Amino acid sequence: MSTNLTPLAAPTEARIQEIGSAEVIVGIPSYNNADTVGHVVRAVSVGLAKHFPGRRAVLVNSDGGSSDQTPAIVARTAINFQHLFIADQQSILHRIVTPYHGIPGKGSAFRTIFEIARRLKARACAVVDADLRSISPEWIELLLRPIMEEGYDYVAPYYLRHKYDGTITNSLAYPLTRALYGQRVRQPIGGEFGFSGALAAHYLDQHVWESEVARFGIDIWMTTEAIASGARICQSFLGAKIHNPKDPSADLSAMLMQVMGALFALMEKHEGLWSRLEGSQPVPLFGFTYEVGVEPVHVNVERMVSHYRQGLTDLEPIWRQILADDTFTQLCDLQGTSGTDCRIPDELWVQVVYDAAIAHRKRIIRRDHLLKALTPLYLGRTASFVQATQGLTSMEAEQKIEALCHTFERMKPYLVERWQPPTLQPVAPALLHHTTVDAGGDHE
Amino acid sequence: MNDFINQALLGPLELLGRQVLTVLPNVLAMGIILLGGLFAAWAFGSFAERLFRMIGFDHFCDRLGMNAALLRGGVKTDPSRLIGRSIYWTVIMLASIAALGALNLTPINQFAQSLLAYVPHLVTAAVILLAGYFLSNFVSQAVLIAAVNAGLPPARLIAACSRWGIQVLAGAMALEQLGIAQHIVVVGFGITWGGIVLAGAIAFGLGAADLAKGFLERRLGNRSKSSTDDDLHHW
Repeated sequence: MSTNLTPLAAPTEARIQEIGSAEVIVGIPSYNNADTVGHVVRAVSVGLAKHFPGRRAVLVNSDGGSSDQTPAIVARTAINFQHLFIADQQSILHRIVTPYHGIPGKGSAFRTIFEIARRLKARACAVVDADLRSISPEWIELLLRPIMEEGYDYVAPYYLRHKYDGTITNSLAYPLTRALYGQRVRQPIGGEFGFSGALAAHYLDQHVWESEVARFGIDIWMTTEAIASGARICQSFLGAKIHNPKDPSADLSAMLMQVMGALFALMEKHEGLWSRLEGSQPVPLFGFTYEVGVEPVHVNVERMVSHYRQGLTDLEPIWRQILADDTFTQLCDLQGTSGTDCRIPDELWVQVVYDAAIAHRKRIIRRDHLLKALTPLYLGRTASFVQATQGLTSMEAEQKIEALCHTFERMKPYLVERWQPPTLQPVAPALLHHTTVDAGGDHE
Repeated sequence: MNDFINQALLGPLELLGRQVLTVLPNVLAMGIILLGGLFAAWAFGSFAERLFRMIGFDHFCDRLGMNAALLRGGVKTDPSRLIGRSIYWTVIMLASIAALGALNLTPINQFAQSLLAYVPHLVTAAVILLAGYFLSNFVSQAVLIAAVNAGLPPARLIAACSRWGIQVLAGAMALEQLGIAQHIVVVGFGITWGGIVLAGAIAFGLGAADLAKGFLERRLGNRSKSSTDDDLHHW
């Protein structure tokens, strides 16, 4: 294990010395979340007091230089436990409010949380976004208990979402991660995670903190790295996720670039692992599942199709370089359809994603250009999904996503054949040591 | 009569013959230098090409993404061959200048010297043109993608304008470096560029005032959504 320590601010170092050690850590990365962070802190505090009353717990706020008093709110938010029927709170919840060092972004905020977890020798950690409106104290139990009591290393969230909410997850992150690494983690870029202290230390030892991961690719990186390291993985049902909208200035192509860039970069890193895997297996799900009404989502299909059509016309030379001839021909054939009746079927979408991954690996064009040039294709696919699921219930829409996942898995040989053979010997996932010993069998 | 023939006819011929005999070794030397230069150019060029190919320079460049960059710039030759040909033509050029110098004629010597002094300018201009070409390709591609993603209908026109703008700028800089009509190039470029910007501004102000207004409102205002936007959460 590396002994390189991530630099922390002097007051944070002193606070860690003062606290000494902790069993449980909950991290809240933040940047200008003054209107929601108080609620998140209350939910975390109540969750820890209610579900882990005897555990030595620390709440860590890793802030990116907020100008709206976010850290101050975290520090001063008070909870009246008596009103919540919590009388047996046995230990004081320590708080560490610290700025983070390094490249601005969620990844650097997480790095600081991981480092504090390592120094406090925490057994279990959880991270929750500071912009959450629907977080409840039960989330803390659901994210931490599988680590504390069931021997899992990584807990991914499982939310109830509208069928048109999280389209990057549904059409790309989930199916591709599942097809590549064989684990059905439904929300691989969810934002809320639980993980063991050992996994936090493993994350810290990876040399990714000066890359894009340190900015915003951290969610998919954590999930993939957990799977690739052989960690025991499970999911926890958290109900509906309601949060403040993402930064409006962050446009779709930038968002897509972060997720796809991280996915494709991880494919290169773990090619020895995924190239020999076939199919997928379910990941255990904890928590009481239930149906809940979600807010309706208004979708402008015409605009998405129009974007796609413009891409087909204007980005033709770039798409020709990125995509295989057959894929591009099939896309061109769709041009003949009229109005919004322009649908990218599952097989074609899978070919597009696999071709893009191969082009990314071969550096056919600049990688940022490649990733951004895929935006109209993604919009075309999203429009196709919206049209195909109009009038369907969330459950029926989920079946469509399941079908897409099967197509990703079925067509994986298409990717493996075109991907250059791994230059390195396949690496057995043995980084997390204790997991295979007491895993008690499979992950099903 | 004999004197006339000796002085008026044979004299100049004899002089010419002497001059030719004087210059002949130099011409011969020039020929030898040229031939030697050709051989040396071929030898050095081929050797360099094979050496770079042998040490896996093409593969190295491929890993760095340079081959793809060259391909994007319309250069289909591999890097080893490119270096080999560059060395070939450099040796040819140096041999030609040396060959001209071997004639030992004042005007040609002066010409050779001025040519040699001009070489750095030529190289600089070539580098400027090359850099301009690659930069224009890069920028136009980035602009095209950004414009399409922003849903701007004249995306290709905007990209073409950015490409030609950079190439014209690079051309003007190269011409200035070569000392060709320096003032005319600078003034001409300034007038043309200023004219384009002014025309664009007037056209945008007159024809797309609503678009500009809407854009500024979205950027500086409260980012209110238009009725055509959707609530899709992609993440």
